[in-house]
Amino acid sequence: MSDWGHATELDDISGQVAIAGIGETEYTKASGRTAREIGVEAAERAIADAGLEPTDIDGLSWNGAFADFDADAFHEHFGTSHDLWTSRWGGGMTWAGTAPHLAAQAIADGKARHVLNVFPVAWATQRGSMTGGPGETHAAQPLKQNLEVPFGWFPQPVYFATIMRRHMLEFGTTEEQFGAIAVACRRNANHNPTAVMHEKKMTLDDYLASPLLADPLRMFDSCLISDGGAAYITTSLERARDLAQPPAVVAGVGEGNAESGGHWSQQQEFTSTPQVFSAPPAFKMAGLAPGDVDVLTVYDPFTVVSMMQIEDMGFCEKGAAGEFVEGDTLHHDGELAFNTHGGLLSHAYVLGIAHVVEVVKQIRGTAPAQVPGCEVGVYGGYTGGMASTLILTEDR
Amino acid sequence: MASLKRADFPLPDLSDERTTEFFAGAARGELVIPKCDSCGAFCWYPEERCLKCDGDAFTWTAVDGHGRLYSWAVVRRAFLPAFEEMVPFVTGLVALDADPTVRIVSYVVDCDPDALAADQPLDVVFRDLRFPTVPDRAVPVPMFVPA
Repeated sequence: MSDWGHATELDDISGQVAIAGIGETEYTKASGRTAREIGVEAAERAIADAGLEPTDIDGLSWNGAFADFDADAFHEHFGTSHDLWTSRWGGGMTWAGTAPHLAAQAIADGKARHVLNVFPVAWATQRGSMTGGPGETHAAQPLKQNLEVPFGWFPQPVYFATIMRRHMLEFGTTEEQFGAIAVACRRNANHNPTAVMHEKKMTLDDYLASPLLADPLRMFDSCLISDGGAAYITTSLERARDLAQPPAVVAGVGEGNAESGGHWSQQQEFTSTPQVFSAPPAFKMAGLAPGDVDVLTVYDPFTVVSMMQIEDMGFCEKGAAGEFVEGDTLHHDGELAFNTHGGLLSHAYVLGIAHVVEVVKQIRGTAPAQVPGCEVGVYGGYTGGMASTLILTEDR
Repeated sequence: MASLKRADFPLPDLSDERTTEFFAGAARGELVIPKCDSCGAFCWYPEERCLKCDGDAFTWTAVDGHGRLYSWAVVRRAFLPAFEEMVPFVTGLVALDADPTVRIVSYVVDCDPDALAADQPLDVVFRDLRFPTVPDRAVPVPMFVPA
């Protein structure tokens, strides 16, 4: 059954643009900083990394639902006032994967040359004042507020516990298999000095001993809550070749949508993600297949979201990811190097922007848990009702 | 955007037009779901337009209240203060026999959480939903029990 969602039609931009600059802040628990402060710091570092000046940035994207960072914040910080092409459909989550496509269109249309995409978050600092933490935006939606929250189906750990159980019931997936994902992400984070969980080891026994928040979902199935942010600059491949860093070429982009939107409870293919619709056109645009991928990062708020995306992006058959992820498959030195920075589970919960930055580092050959000879890296973005696929390659 | 500041949160907001009929039905002891006047499909959640035929008129229709347990979570951590005295509790998705693509989110009660099974038959019951954080208020809602 495939009528539960659809792909967004995207123009083929393969090889036209590249990511030429990346910037990151520290990733921490509650820092006391605002998202705006974090955002401008990430922006400043990305501009410096590319060897550009703030006045060279003539395009800016961020996420309009998180308006902490925007064009005003940019100009105020850098003391600039020049015209900017802007989009509120960038930032993190699924849009961290599609922002380079927006940038490619703006560049092709002559509206911008260097497009900066920024996503900061300060949820660790803000947590105490939020109703249900990151669930607050969900609880504010009227249908969820009336048909889910009163029935205890809230917040995200409960949604994903329910999806996880159905995956176990349908496919025989075991708790140890979900644990293998958590352990792989932790081991990768142990190699990454900027990861929040860099110093903390985790074994499968530790995973199985972690408390059940919403059975079958454990604390160690769940992402961190963090402060931090990152940014990247998209420009034409030609221009990127003149800048300070080796280009990470945008080879393919896809976007998938579920008709049920953010109402997971009603998504008819309950144990799938819209990667089903996003990944195939992205691989087609890139002229590549899952077997060509050296590094995969996916938006991983919970282990089951990784499990589902690994299947839905074609790295194994639907329902087979449980067996696929067992052992050290997903370790940075395993068969499918996965969330090599540690992911949302063990690096930081900065909603996917650091995943894209990690793929760029892997392509450049500068990642802390570097995969030798990495030529093809993929980001799988996810925001419930939407998913994105961003395929980056070495400049060949 | 509905306000989280309302005093009776997390009880449902009975003034929200899109779900008024659902809770009015529960108060009468009926499980009612909007049915599209054009194509006859049950449309859940209540959206402004039918996802199947784009129709925009609906009749809230009583269904028999039998369903199957599609999936569930046993919530052990209270994510809101209102849930503190309730944990552990079972919340999940019930696929209605009347149309299994309609999944009602609710509590499964009067059950042994460890004995629940995939797709097991459930029946609707109507119970007062109360939270200690919202004194003197109760809203009758559909819940489910093993058949």
